[in-house]
Amino acid sequence: MQIISEKQNALLQIALRRRDMLSLLGAGTLMAAGSDATAQRTPLKGGVLRVSSLANPSSLDPVTGGSGVDHIYLYAIFDTLTEFDFETLGAKPGMASWAFPNLNTMVLTLKTGIKFHDGTACDAQAVKFNLDRARTDVRSSVKSDVSNISAVEVTGPLEVKLTLSQPDAALPGIFADRAGMMMSPTAVQKLGNAHDRNPVGCGPWKFVSWADNQSVVVMRNEGYWKPGQPYLDGIEMSIIPELATGLRSVVANQNHLVYGLSPRMTPLLERAKNVTLVRGPSLFHHMIYLNYGRAPLNNVKVRQAMNYAIDRRAFVTATMGGIGEIATQNLPSTHWAYDKTLANMYPHDPARVKKLLAEAGFPDGLDITIACWNDQDSARRREVIEAQLAAVGIRCKFTAGTITEVSNQFFGTEKKFDAYLAAWSGRPDPSMTYSSLFGKTAYYNASRLEGSDELATLLQHSRLKEDQGFRTQVFAKIQRQVMELGLNVPIAFNPELVAVAKDVQGYRPNLLGKPKFNGVWLATK
Amino acid sequence: MAYGWLPNSMLNARGFKVLGKRLIHAIPVLLFATFFVFGLINLIPGDIAVTLAGENASDERIREIRHLYGLDEPFLVQYWGWLNKAVQGDLGKSLLTGERVIISVERSLPNTALIISTALLIACTVGIPLGIVSASRRGQALDGFIMTIASLGVAVPSFWLAMLLISFFALNMGWFPATGAVSFSTNPANAIHHALLPALALAAGGIAEISRQLRTSLVEFLSSQQVRTLHAKGVSPLAILWRHGLRNVGINLITVISIFVNRLLSATVVIEAIFAIPGMGGMIVGAALNRDFPVVQGVVLVMALIVVTVNLVADVLYGVIDPRAN
Repeated sequence: MQIISEKQNALLQIALRRRDMLSLLGAGTLMAAGSDATAQRTPLKGGVLRVSSLANPSSLDPVTGGSGVDHIYLYAIFDTLTEFDFETLGAKPGMASWAFPNLNTMVLTLKTGIKFHDGTACDAQAVKFNLDRARTDVRSSVKSDVSNISAVEVTGPLEVKLTLSQPDAALPGIFADRAGMMMSPTAVQKLGNAHDRNPVGCGPWKFVSWADNQSVVVMRNEGYWKPGQPYLDGIEMSIIPELATGLRSVVANQNHLVYGLSPRMTPLLERAKNVTLVRGPSLFHHMIYLNYGRAPLNNVKVRQAMNYAIDRRAFVTATMGGIGEIATQNLPSTHWAYDKTLANMYPHDPARVKKLLAEAGFPDGLDITIACWNDQDSARRREVIEAQLAAVGIRCKFTAGTITEVSNQFFGTEKKFDAYLAAWSGRPDPSMTYSSLFGKTAYYNASRLEGSDELATLLQHSRLKEDQGFRTQVFAKIQRQVMELGLNVPIAFNPELVAVAKDVQGYRPNLLGKPKFNGVWLATK
Repeated sequence: MAYGWLPNSMLNARGFKVLGKRLIHAIPVLLFATFFVFGLINLIPGDIAVTLAGENASDERIREIRHLYGLDEPFLVQYWGWLNKAVQGDLGKSLLTGERVIISVERSLPNTALIISTALLIACTVGIPLGIVSASRRGQALDGFIMTIASLGVAVPSFWLAMLLISFFALNMGWFPATGAVSFSTNPANAIHHALLPALALAAGGIAEISRQLRTSLVEFLSSQQVRTLHAKGVSPLAILWRHGLRNVGINLITVISIFVNRLLSATVVIEAIFAIPGMGGMIVGAALNRDFPVVQGVVLVMALIVVTVNLVADVLYGVIDPRAN
């Protein structure tokens, strides 16, 4: 087994940069010596990548689907208006570049010659059609992402002007997600709801077939707008919900790649000689959601006490084989908006917990109801959290269920539990994360309350200007507010673990934790 | 003689009457199974409308979705709507993905059917001879050995055995694929190659059960007055066993086998997950977890039909072996 960590990835990149530079300087002898290595790293075209995929897509239409597991399929079929940087998630131009001529206007300029898989041109009219559909279609699941767009106007063959009801600097990040995935207007109009199962985009691969709970197959888009890409002739994604089974399929050479692995599987991978483990940081983190709209968690001291009660280091050791990053905010340390000053905000401090609980009127501790997931890894996490909280007098009554079931009970109208031990998978732009978690009407805010007036103002403020320096400062304030008010209990970031067969080259994990195969190629077909 | 395979006992009016009665009995069974499961889906906490509405959906949007898919209708109205279409051959579409249920069933059923029939074949071809050998060597070392193995077969959970089989035959030796299924119609040899390990894991319990039951019945028969008489008449031990013995224990054997087939249907749920076989088991689990009721109902209907058919075949065979059973 070979582990490519973030550090090794960086070293590899440095090495490549140095080699590139030497070749540019005309160091003939060095070039000859390095030619083998260069030849090995030149991507080969062809071959079909076989992927073990976690779940059946909810839909292959980016606007009507609603599941976080869909992206692996969507990225293959659809390109986005903007793209995100794999390491930091900063937005960068994709099919379009953008500008904010004033606070309430955004202009998108498309690249020339982009065509959908059915031959329809991806021009300004197509972008307008897609954005209007995202804003208004009755089945759209991304309405809230584009709610600040009040009008879409075609101002040139490849230029679109968006009028915003209020400034929204999160849009470049939002357009790297579902709302920015462009679909062929011809296909959507012709197929209607059937487009869910017959998607037509302008991504590197064309849709071939989708058999529910079995497979999704895509093949090369010969007219792809990025020169020389894609490398793979196609991708065959077999839907294998059992992670251990998916991993076995890679070890047995039936598939090339399985993603979303659990840290507990690393010992298994160490025994497998033909598999490489690619590890990268991700936004996905375990945390406890709190319903701060009612007693006892409407008391800020109780919420702070819960944050001090968790020994995050011990949690990482016990449940993640020691390879997770401890979380004291909702962004990992590699993210551009990460705030270093919050790193030690909540050390494990049982004495402080007792004091805070006594001040909150619970000198003998308190009882809370808490929901959690019912899979094997979640059971282990629950045991650790239950013991840590019980040790300081916070007695938890846990209810385990499927993700859909307990999420509905906690976030939906039922409001069944005080807290929810679950996770947040992250979004391309931090505004999306904070608005989804703490916005007054947000589904993931079980209390449906603003944490504070200041927080509500800051959430709006974060979308005011595009300047990253400005936004970093606003997000630091937001995150400090969230943590001071103890609106949730972040615990640890889960690394993205992907097992790949030896002949898979060019796979790079991204911070969003949702695999993209654009640069992947096969050494043997 | 179109019905040459059926004995006269089944061709008479009484035989047809029994068959007709069984078929009529099947209707309430199917109705009850689908109604009961429909009720169970409604009892599961959670709301598919929330899943369909996606992340960040407002309560209003969730209500809208509920109305769009008729999920706000009363329970009985929803069931009646489903039943009405089902009797016309329309099993509806998956609420989650929009795929027609009949298409999903047509794709998944052959995968499940292949591992079940292979498991049945293995269980019978190994279990029946073992039972006969064991009964004819009663009390000897071989009998003890076979029955010990059979006890182990009953005790070992199929999922655990499946893991062992994968580890040894697929991962270490590389003789069989560790996961997946191939359609029998496109490549029969490859399909059987894929189905062998899961079928073996499923068959272990069946081999044990069939051999133990057969042994017990045969031992009882062999120590009966009838056998003593046959011996006295000079009939050879082999003829006693084959001509008289198996006919006598046939009813027991068919009962055990039909129960085993019905049990296989539920056992495939776990085995399909371990081997990543896209079959009926995985389909119903995924759909039930998300309250995708048209899919659950479709699978339940097909599984209930299989159970009813297996029982019907068993009933017919009872009559073939022993006309008194009619």
